[in-house]
Amino acid sequence: MKCSKVQKNLSAYQDGELKPGERDKVTMHLQDCQVCCKQYAELDRVWQTLGELQEIHPNPWFYRQVVRKIKEPREQGLLPALQHVFRLFRAPVAVSIILIIGLVAGSYLGSLLARCDLFPFQNNPLSDSGGTFFTSMRVFDPAPPGTLAEGYFRMVSYKENDSR
Amino acid sequence: MDNQIPSEELMARVAKGDNDAFEILVNRHQTSVLSLIYRFIGDRTRAKDLAQEVFLRVWQAARSYKPQAKFTTWIYRITANLCLNELKSSRRKKWLQFLRFGDNLENTVEETLVDDTPSPEDLLLAKERSRQIANALQSLPENQRMALILKRYDGLSYQEIAKVIGCSVSAVESLLVRAKRSLQEKLKNYEK
Repeated sequence: MKCSKVQKNLSAYQDGELKPGERDKVTMHLQDCQVCCKQYAELDRVWQTLGELQEIHPNPWFYRQVVRKIKEPREQGLLPALQHVFRLFRAPVAVSIILIIGLVAGSYLGSLLARCDLFPFQNNPLSDSGGTFFTSMRVFDPAPPGTLAEGYFRMVSYKENDSR
Repeated sequence: MDNQIPSEELMARVAKGDNDAFEILVNRHQTSVLSLIYRFIGDRTRAKDLAQEVFLRVWQAARSYKPQAKFTTWIYRITANLCLNELKSSRRKKWLQFLRFGDNLENTVEETLVDDTPSPEDLLLAKERSRQIANALQSLPENQRMALILKRYDGLSYQEIAKVIGCSVSAVESLLVRAKRSLQEKLKNYEK
């Protein structure tokens, strides 16, 4: 077995993860190759050194602490509540609901804007209290009534009529 | 007799509300869980809190637990996820400090060497060595650190580590190769 292949497998060899045939080949190579043997010794040194990390032991009342933790009421934060909601509703249903809410809110906002007297120098037919839902949607026209754009189009149409 | 009952069977009993089975499970796995957390995050106090959290989750998930994998793999997976979440949380709150593990080692030394009578010099030396190792471990990227701890201290196979971390076996091998290489460099002057 070549050194390059052995060195590539040294970590797995140390961890006991090589197949028996490969393991035997590496073992035989290490017996003859000082370079690879030195490299493996270094790996082993680090591995043994890690064993000097001091341990921690649980206290004798650990189980009681766990039981206490189980019995204490869990904090209901916003995130767990949100997660619970999303678990209940599947994504398409949730999206549909959000869309409907958006449409209703948008049309309400539109009617609100239409009723506002934004251009006092212009007659705003939408400011009538009897304005309907579809009338209020005209605020989304390219040239809504009462705006400068609508005034411009009127001017242009007057000029065209005059020229005829 | 308690030691002969497999953990998977104990979990099945816990799912039916057997508190005694849960106590056996906790006693059986508390050291390994606590040690894994402590080696990973390096904070003794927080490790104890998280270890309790692990068993809380075990209790809560008892009914949905299916023994498709070994219980140890399953509980290690819960532990690993908690550790990684804890690191993210700590980074946000800036709780983790480079020398904090060393500060906690004082308590560790006092509590784990109660019955021995080493000399003060030996204690200091052991403490310093452990501190160097801990610092070297803490400097590893999270996945490398977790893989190394699971292999070195818990003796899991590559396949089991892959299930815990949620990656392939070849990825685990690669993580360990890189981790060992980093530690070789960091612990080069260890005995000097």
